[in-house]
Amino acid sequence: MLAFVVRRIVTTIPVMAFVALFVFSLLYIAPGDPAAIIAGDQASPADVERIRASLGLDRPYLVRFAEWSFRVIQGDLGTSIFTNLPVTQLIAQRIEPTLSLMVLTLIFAVVIAVPMGVVAAWKAGSWVDKAAMGFAVLGFSVPVFVVGYLLAYLFALKLDWLPVQGYTPISQGFWPWLRNLILPTVTLGLVYVALIARITRATMLDVLQQDYVRTAQAKGVAQKDVLFLHSLKNAAVPIVTIIGIGIALLIGGAVVTESVFAIPGLGRLTVDAILRRDYPVIQGVVLMFSLVYVLVNLLIDLTYTLVDPRIRY
Amino acid sequence: MTAQSLTAAPAAEAVQAELGRAARFRRYLRRHPSVAIGGGLLILMALIGIFAPLLGTVDPTAIAPSRRTRVPSELYWFGTDMLGRDIYSRVVYGARVSLLVGFSVAILSSIVGLTIGLFAGFVRWSDGIIMRIIDGMMSIPPILLAIALMALTRGSVQNVIIAITVAEIPRVARLVRGVVLSLREQPYVEAAVANGARVPRIIFRHILPNTFAPMSVQATYICASAMIVEAILSFIGAGVPPATPSWGNIMAEGRALWQVRPHIILFPAVFLSITVLAVNMLGDGLRDSLDPRLAKTL
Repeated sequence: MLAFVVRRIVTTIPVMAFVALFVFSLLYIAPGDPAAIIAGDQASPADVERIRASLGLDRPYLVRFAEWSFRVIQGDLGTSIFTNLPVTQLIAQRIEPTLSLMVLTLIFAVVIAVPMGVVAAWKAGSWVDKAAMGFAVLGFSVPVFVVGYLLAYLFALKLDWLPVQGYTPISQGFWPWLRNLILPTVTLGLVYVALIARITRATMLDVLQQDYVRTAQAKGVAQKDVLFLHSLKNAAVPIVTIIGIGIALLIGGAVVTESVFAIPGLGRLTVDAILRRDYPVIQGVVLMFSLVYVLVNLLIDLTYTLVDPRIRY
Repeated sequence: MTAQSLTAAPAAEAVQAELGRAARFRRYLRRHPSVAIGGGLLILMALIGIFAPLLGTVDPTAIAPSRRTRVPSELYWFGTDMLGRDIYSRVVYGARVSLLVGFSVAILSSIVGLTIGLFAGFVRWSDGIIMRIIDGMMSIPPILLAIALMALTRGSVQNVIIAITVAEIPRVARLVRGVVLSLREQPYVEAAVANGARVPRIIFRHILPNTFAPMSVQATYICASAMIVEAILSFIGAGVPPATPSWGNIMAEGRALWQVRPHIILFPAVFLSITVLAVNMLGDGLRDSLDPRLAKTL
């Protein structure tokens, strides 16, 4: 087991190294002159040269990559071109709203989607199943900002139940914090619910045909125990896997959701950075989110043994 | 027997065969209603895009400050935006951008992904390296990857297509590699190898045709996701130039005013959702009809 954990952690190192190399190299493989594009159309030649020097584009690629990766390993993601602040500081300032939104969405999606998928599989072919799967297709098709504006229009503008936009730090109280995040959470969670519900249903359909399920039913185990104890446990591995893979959807969706609901998180930081062409910030955010994504999926791989004791390493 | 009937006979047969094919196609659509509905809606959207100039539209980029932010009326069916541009015309022309991006990304990423996947599946020594690179690219969330690429290039439809394609290629490559690896073990491929068939023949006769079913399903999903990503990029200001009528751009312009003029966002949102829904239904239908084993469970 320990050997597996070590091996699995070691395999993530080349993956992260490639991500770093790729994100770094984009500056060099992008068509045109990135310094001129980042400086903008009104920039003087001196401005362009200043940006070229601050990005290190005037020095050899390999030397620059070695320096840059050495600093990244030490936790230095460079300096923002626009604000002149360290990128790590900008990220640290914005992390709470994004983290809150993503954790709430994760909880919301799992709590809704897993029972939905289980019931859809149990009643396969019935109207409950058709409604749940129709909802899933809809969840995949309606873009996240459309859901966001629709919910904000209905529940904030028309019914006035919840705030239209904004964010309250959790230090100012749990309820004000939660109130501001309800609509963004539902918005961001919809596509995630669709994804998890579909996989849950597919896996459960497979498990429900197994002999041990028939045995459990034959010996008179209550239906809900058959579904949620005997079957769901055995369907857990693919479901947990898709929850991990879906984090990528969540990260992309957070950028948009934060724009719609004016939440001052990492998504807003990214959007502001694009409008100002502040590449070091974008680079830092991409690297950080990729690291989070890789680590979450690493953790999920390691939990397989807890979910399913048959898996041994 | 006259010469006329001699020439007529094959023609009639051809018509019969044609009818047979049409009847089979109709039966296929009846059995798979989601293919019929999704495909039908998609064709409708494509027609709207192609015939945009004939659908009662005006110049979608014409600015008229005197008639800004009008609500929908008989004259301006979907109202006007902050610069006085006709939203109906912009939405109709926007179908062109969305569909162009969706189809281009689906086709380009399929071709490149297929090549990489076949290479990794056949040239075994390269597999480890290619798969590590793919793992690396797949751990960058696709939207962020596209955002990073767009931050370094000028906003244009072409650059948006390239950015989204780069983000989608790893998924196709991984799918194709998996299919190739499982097909290589099939008895008929082994038989072909034993018969002395060369690698190109094995690829083109035995492997490639079998990748088409999973690839076409994957391509429809990529098309749907590309249309959403394009709208997101334009919405946050990293997509096609603001003057270009695209659904994401129209919504971006409506953002500041959405509380008082929600229709500016509503119309492009409805068109985008319907189009993506159509593509997704087509994909689901194709998946069920191309893989009957899956259809029973999924």
